[in-house]
Amino acid sequence: MSIFKSVYDYRELLKTSVTKDIGGKYKNSFLGVLWSFVNPLLQIIVYAIIFPLIMRNNIENYVVFMVCGLIPWNYFSTVINRASFTMIENGNIIKKVYFPREILPLSLVTSESVTFLISSIIILGFVLGYGMGLSIFILFYPMLLLIQYILLLGISLIVSSVTVYFRDLQHFLGVILQLLFYATPIVYSLDSIPQEFKWIFNFNPMTYIIQGYRDIFYYQQMPDIRGLLVIFGVAILLCIIGYLIFNKLQKRFAEEL
Amino acid sequence: MSNNTEKRIIVENVYKTFDVYLDKANSLKEKMLFWKRNRKETREVLKDVSLTINNGEAVALIGVNGSGKSTLLKLMTKIIYPNKGKVTTNGKLTSLLELGAGFHPDFSGRENIYFNASIFGLTRKEIDSRIEKIIEFSELGTYIDNPVRTYSSGMYMRLAFSVAINVDAEILLVDEILSVGDQHFQEKCLNKMKELKKEGKTMVFVTHSLESARNLCDRAIWLHKGVIKKDGETKSVIDEYLKETT
Repeated sequence: MSIFKSVYDYRELLKTSVTKDIGGKYKNSFLGVLWSFVNPLLQIIVYAIIFPLIMRNNIENYVVFMVCGLIPWNYFSTVINRASFTMIENGNIIKKVYFPREILPLSLVTSESVTFLISSIIILGFVLGYGMGLSIFILFYPMLLLIQYILLLGISLIVSSVTVYFRDLQHFLGVILQLLFYATPIVYSLDSIPQEFKWIFNFNPMTYIIQGYRDIFYYQQMPDIRGLLVIFGVAILLCIIGYLIFNKLQKRFAEEL
Repeated sequence: MSNNTEKRIIVENVYKTFDVYLDKANSLKEKMLFWKRNRKETREVLKDVSLTINNGEAVALIGVNGSGKSTLLKLMTKIIYPNKGKVTTNGKLTSLLELGAGFHPDFSGRENIYFNASIFGLTRKEIDSRIEKIIEFSELGTYIDNPVRTYSSGMYMRLAFSVAINVDAEILLVDEILSVGDQHFQEKCLNKMKELKKEGKTMVFVTHSLESARNLCDRAIWLHKGVIKKDGETKSVIDEYLKETT
């Protein structure tokens, strides 16, 4: 359990890199932090025009339906994408100073979670804007965020350490995430999937998480607690496996970078 | 427990090899197309090195280029790990391998102190209590609130050194950096090192300046082609070293 101690000892480093990451992102841009709203909003507008055109659906308030899936998905894919670059970006420090390397993926996931927290305002904006109101089930939001956080931490530990040795992963990930986007009920509902393909969705952890967000914001009903707990277990397992892989690979980071 | 504080650094039968790729296939495409081309040489940098450094010792690592001094120092900091053998350190450790690692050019000197010190594992409170001392030692004065990219290389080094020296680690690992700044600042650094030594800190230097080794250290270790050639009192090790290399 020395990992918890070493991360705790270096908590100031975690804090400064999270704030530097959030603050530095839009430092030299004119719109500044507004970009974290403008970007997804533009994306929503495009998707809201395109997808109803190519895929007929009779979903009520389709835009809200999509937003509930799209924002959490963006959080998911941004973290995984950035995780594949984080070690290479920080190669300079890794080669010169010792610090617990797991701080890097940890601070990445944490700072993106803060960004997600802020962009959740967009979901709220759409839900309220369409006059759907809020329900008590919104209280499950922290639970969903926690599950997604743990899941992303596990994936990031693996992705960030493996790319040091295998740079192609960066490009593979782009393709995989693109495929996964369509294998997750983001722009369509799970009901419209033919029975024979349902299994793909059952194996995709993001299905449960996005359905969870949708339940609490859009359907305003009890999320599938049993399914989410299973995903929570999977996420914890992934974190443990991820840490073991990371710990094995990090010993040669300074030489490989 | 007393055993823990007495022996600061224990290096046991350490072997370190580096793979030197003469022609490295970096991507999958290259790996598949030129799988035969992946020529590499294995270079043995350290061979069965064992040593123990006790609390309060100031040790100089000397030797010609490529003898493995810096590698040994990096192993002690845990930036790299040995292929065989074990390196154990007891106590808070700071390394001054390359000054200013992790400085962000767009942030001010003051902000960089916080960031740099946090890399060394200091908490906010600990940095707050040291910040005045660090700024004073660096002699940067009002420049401290300017972005680091506007600094001259001397100012940059002074700031970096001031942070590292004020971390208050029990073990200090230094790689060839006593050539920081002008004569005045160099002397200041040397005095600070002596002061730290008096306080009972453990120090390991990698240096080519035998003068400063004589000046600071009471023990010297002479590495030659990855093995310890001589380990003992500074003067006698240096004398023999000079006899052999000149």
